[in-house]
Amino acid sequence: MTTVPILKIEDLRTYFYSRSKQAFIRSVDGVSLEIAKGETLGVVGESGSGKTITALSILGLISARPGVISGRIGFQSDRIQKNLLQDLGDFVNLTARDGKIMEVTKDVAGWERNAERIMSQVRGKEIAMTFQNPKSSFSPFTSVGKQITEAIRLHTPKKTELEVKECAITWLDRVKIDSPRLRFDNYPYGLSGGMCQRAMIAMALASEPSFLIADEPTTGLDATIQSKIVDLLMELKSELGITAMLISHDISVISRLSDRVAVMYGGTVFEYGPAKDILSTGFESKHPYTSALLASIPSTKNIKEKGYLQVIEGDVLDTINIPEGCRFYGRCNRVTESIRERCARHEPDLRETESGHKMRCWLYFD
Amino acid sequence: MPKTILEVIDLKKHFIHRRGLLSSFKEHRQSIPAVDGASFYLKENETLGLVGESGCGKTTIGRTILRLEKPTSGKIIFEGKDITNIATGELGQLRSQMQMIFQDLDAALNPKMHVRDILSEAITVHHRISDAEVDRRIGDLLEQVKLKRSKLSSFPHELSGGEKRRVGVARVLSVGAKFIVADEPTSALDVSIQAQVVNLLRDLQKQLGLSYLFISHDLRVVELISHKVAVMYLGKIVEMGLSDRIANKPGHPYTHILWSSLVEKQSRETGQKAKSIQVGRWGVFDFERPTAGCRFAPRCPVYDSKGRPTLCIDPVTEPQLRDIGEAHQVACHFPL
Repeated sequence: MTTVPILKIEDLRTYFYSRSKQAFIRSVDGVSLEIAKGETLGVVGESGSGKTITALSILGLISARPGVISGRIGFQSDRIQKNLLQDLGDFVNLTARDGKIMEVTKDVAGWERNAERIMSQVRGKEIAMTFQNPKSSFSPFTSVGKQITEAIRLHTPKKTELEVKECAITWLDRVKIDSPRLRFDNYPYGLSGGMCQRAMIAMALASEPSFLIADEPTTGLDATIQSKIVDLLMELKSELGITAMLISHDISVISRLSDRVAVMYGGTVFEYGPAKDILSTGFESKHPYTSALLASIPSTKNIKEKGYLQVIEGDVLDTINIPEGCRFYGRCNRVTESIRERCARHEPDLRETESGHKMRCWLYFD
Repeated sequence: MPKTILEVIDLKKHFIHRRGLLSSFKEHRQSIPAVDGASFYLKENETLGLVGESGCGKTTIGRTILRLEKPTSGKIIFEGKDITNIATGELGQLRSQMQMIFQDLDAALNPKMHVRDILSEAITVHHRISDAEVDRRIGDLLEQVKLKRSKLSSFPHELSGGEKRRVGVARVLSVGAKFIVADEPTSALDVSIQAQVVNLLRDLQKQLGLSYLFISHDLRVVELISHKVAVMYLGKIVEMGLSDRIANKPGHPYTHILWSSLVEKQSRETGQKAKSIQVGRWGVFDFERPTAGCRFAPRCPVYDSKGRPTLCIDPVTEPQLRDIGEAHQVACHFPL
């Protein structure tokens, strides 16, 4: 990649402690990603693969303990250049035995003091996020317009009442909410699901961030509304040239909007590369998990023949007991005899197999 | 020739909307026509897909057929028997024949009951059998829905989305239902889990000869699993026919819009530039003030391109379902 990535995540780890199971849940376990300026990165994976937690970790919004443990999040926009986890590693002490996390001690107060100092100029202003469930992400007690003006007042130089309101209305108009002046005074419950999603996007973009994280922007919406939200995101992308990270388990949405795709499984990135390669059916050298995931979508051929859908056998990886070898080993249908030993014993690293295409699979390593 | 298991004739369900003190007077009540004249039939071993945007009355149809809601007017005939107005006492017997897989299983499964109790309760309500027999049946059910035996002692919140769905299916099967209303059984599931559930439902249909009313807004899944598809808009069925025809040769502009909103998304996959199909206007429909004549007219691209003919908005000539050949019915004055 010639351009400098706007966001570069290296080996991010976010753990949670489950009191009932007396063990650590390794929700995000060594994620490395890069997003270049002006690009859209699509993140796909089954639920529980750590997509949302990765996004929340970037913004420092993890409140459960112990939360983010280690890693590096290099952020570089026109205004700011910094590592969002700068010097925070000193507050954490981790003891592991036989690949199992035994204890994590974290000086939460110290971590948060430092993290807040770093994040105060970044969160909302440089990196904005739209959340999974827009209806519950808005405050039910304040009108939607008020909530957008709040973001504008906080993050942009516009301060006067009138100026801010006009700006909010322009944004509502821009995300194609009809009669934005009336909608400004609506409360979230008065908006439909699609409109709420739009208002959420307006709020995120109103602070003119250089990077947008959209978490499941189309989930739970009707097909017609879905396609309109996708159209809207397309338009905003070409108009504003915004850099975005798009999280979804709807592969058709990802394939329409993203330039690059990261496939996540069990807290790590399994495959990373150009969207047109990874998501096209013609491209052969894919990670077995990606192929299996794509095969389980009803295809035109499938529908015509009224055939069965291909399923991925077994359950999603339990991120408490992460196996020694490849995380997908138990469900993989492409393990060959020559690599079986390696798959079961050693975890593959994320290696570049072709230019711009990284993968975590012994099948493609020599 | 498979026999008809369910027939619905001009079914209506209007909800009464009360607002304020005056609503106790009849003239101040407002009625909301959630289902406003739906007719269709379902044969044994067949799946009818019911699609439409949220709020168009899909779920209400399902609930009314099961008599979870009392129909306002119309007729429901199940296995040759008119069940529109049968007494509450007979409903128990009826519900051992027809069941529903609910949309939100977090709400439909009692959070304080183990999976075993959830299943055994359903069995013992309808059948007087010994504990040993109940146990044996639960074992069979688990095998049918491919759920591990160890999950029997779990609480619903300990199960994953796919497993919860399986429990929901098992509970429906436990009473020996022949006709099942599946309300959004695949929504909010991952594609891999969705595939498992779809395959399971089809397997069960083959083994047990079930009939499904499959309610969903996931068009691809509906197209895959259904034999026939009915498209709903604002409480009315606007188009009905074999799933292949509905998907590929729709007659109603609304159906066309629905399916093309899918095709657009996949344009990237096929490498073609998206065809700019006019996807209708923004308006969200309003149940309280339905437009006269064709309900879809305010959003309809055909209505616009024909120069807004009065035929479409005349209340006297509201389009009715009519046959256009090959078991395909459309309610539109200007079918595509």
